[in-house]
Amino acid sequence: MKSQALKWLKTWEFGLAVLLVLEILVLGAINPTFLNLENLLYSTSDFTHILLAALPLTLIIISAGIDISGVSIMGLSSITLGLIWVAGVNVFVALLIALIIGVLAGMFNGAFVASTDVNPLVITLGSLFMFAGIAMGLPGLLDALGFNAYGAAGFAAYMYEGISGLPHSFNQIAHGGIGWIPYPLIIVLIFAIFLGILLHRTRFGRYLYLIGVNEKAARYSNVPVKSTLISVYALSGLGAALAGVVLTSYFTSARSDLGKEALLTIITVVVLGGADINGGKGSILGTLLAGFLIGFLRQGLLAIGVTSDVVPVVIGALLIIVVVLKLLLASHNQRRLNQQALHVSIERR
Amino acid sequence: MSRILRSRELLVFFLLVVLMLAVGLINPNFWQARSLMHILNSSLILLLVSIGEMFVILTRGIDVSVGAILGLSAVILGVALNAGVALPLAVLLALLVSVLAGMVNAVGITFLRVPPIIMTLGTLGVYRGLMLIITGGSWIETIPANIKFFANWHILGVRFFIWLTLVIVLLTTLALRKYKKARYFYAVGDNEEGARLMDIPVKKTLFAAYTLAGLFAGIAAVIFVAQIGFVPMQAGNGQELRAIAADVLGGVNLAGGVGSPLSAVVGAIFLTAVDSALVFLKVPGYWNNAVGGAILLAAVFLDYRVRRAVATQQRQARAAVRKESNHQENTHAPEKEQA
Repeated sequence: MKSQALKWLKTWEFGLAVLLVLEILVLGAINPTFLNLENLLYSTSDFTHILLAALPLTLIIISAGIDISGVSIMGLSSITLGLIWVAGVNVFVALLIALIIGVLAGMFNGAFVASTDVNPLVITLGSLFMFAGIAMGLPGLLDALGFNAYGAAGFAAYMYEGISGLPHSFNQIAHGGIGWIPYPLIIVLIFAIFLGILLHRTRFGRYLYLIGVNEKAARYSNVPVKSTLISVYALSGLGAALAGVVLTSYFTSARSDLGKEALLTIITVVVLGGADINGGKGSILGTLLAGFLIGFLRQGLLAIGVTSDVVPVVIGALLIIVVVLKLLLASHNQRRLNQQALHVSIERR
Repeated sequence: MSRILRSRELLVFFLLVVLMLAVGLINPNFWQARSLMHILNSSLILLLVSIGEMFVILTRGIDVSVGAILGLSAVILGVALNAGVALPLAVLLALLVSVLAGMVNAVGITFLRVPPIIMTLGTLGVYRGLMLIITGGSWIETIPANIKFFANWHILGVRFFIWLTLVIVLLTTLALRKYKKARYFYAVGDNEEGARLMDIPVKKTLFAAYTLAGLFAGIAAVIFVAQIGFVPMQAGNGQELRAIAADVLGGVNLAGGVGSPLSAVVGAIFLTAVDSALVFLKVPGYWNNAVGGAILLAAVFLDYRVRRAVATQQRQARAAVRKESNHQENTHAPEKEQA
């Protein structure tokens, strides 16, 4: 039991948890309002969309794939929701359809990845452009077909502010909560628990690691590679669509370019969370902690008066520093293991 | 025959001709020399960034910071010109910054062994942030006319920048074909371990690839400032993804070792031609991305099917040879298989 506790202390996730606590304390020391729990919880709504996209992306990266199209699926699901609502459908039915569109978009990626040998980066790069383009083009297309997609204010107003005037009950998704806990945070936690169980407690999760380590071996050992990959990209599509819905509610308007700037942060979170870009390594808890770490860092930097221009510099530099440290740590451990092995073999002689 | 089939440059070139013929049929204005020249002229920036990116992809790497390097160099050039720095000096400064930016990537990837996508994603944030910090987030609106002059300078009826790009394309193509050290890019990308065993300086080659990617983004930045005449904060935004798309479309393989500057040229012109074609077809501009993305996906899918068909054909041919040699009871059958 004791050794297990010690082992936990050495994990990447524990390191992240310590960093997170330290970060909150340091930022709190500089600006005490940061330590207010209600504030802290409320401010998570600013970056829950990052987590919703990053959590399922972790699964894809574990399978040695990548999906950069999520940022476009966010906009696609947002505009789908808005357009269907404008057409007179109940906003929550529209929400459901938007999520389904996200899953279908993800399945498209997954089917393409699973049935060809084309690099997933190329495939999702293509679909990044395609989904973004469809999201941008849909309102104009409907307009040309004579369907007023933008409400009373006219097309020009739509181009400027998106589809606004969504029902209050829908806007409550991002602005309401249970007690001090905002709904988006609850959605993130439920999604994380679901993905965590899927990844760490089911056969599906073990398949993902196996595919990530050696896809050929997985195929030969009868792992259903194709359906596993399609499912995992579909999950990523679902996460991105959820993010799109939450963002729509947060900004109280549906736009086709929502989430466009999030790509760097999303991948930073997954990598900082301990996932190996070459596959086979990663955990949901790690991504979750890294998401809070980066999210609060951004908040904290802004709160202590750093301009928003500097934030990407810090996040980018952090990403590189963390990976360099991790590589150094890994090579140090490897050297120690080698030395131990050497000692054992000498003693045996 | 199979070699021609497998040449993606040719496949995409064929698609390009079909596209242009189709658009020309619907709107004959498309086939005027002027509009074709216009396509060429507006593809230059993407084309140069794509050639730089190609060096990196040849070595089996990826560089997603080239768009940010373009933006950063453009800002440096704009600020320097507005500060009264002489034009040649300002251009040199911008190129220097782009080379340095590329070198930072190179150091992280070759010496610190950071995976390329992580390193360049990190510097993407850093360079874009620096760009905002230098300008305070506002556009550089006024650029001295001396640099804009070059964008409209015609030599023999063709714009100077088109000539310049042509020379660069010819030089890089020639170098990659004939110059032994330039062949190292292919060797490293095709089989890094093998290249190392053959005493090829793998680290130096990787270093050169990322530095060149920076330099080409810098050259593109100079053309950007001259052509556009101001520097918006979105300068180069997403250009890295378009460059990768152009390269892949033209036949550069992300698995390394395959591709040529011609791939970048064909891919970049194709993507730009699509944008122009949509204008001539009176399709609103916001469909550009959808069409570009769909074409990229269709091209890689088609390419995959062709490759698989060729592989099957070869396997069958081999099987036929084997059958024949078995028939003759040839004891040296395995040797024949290789034929």
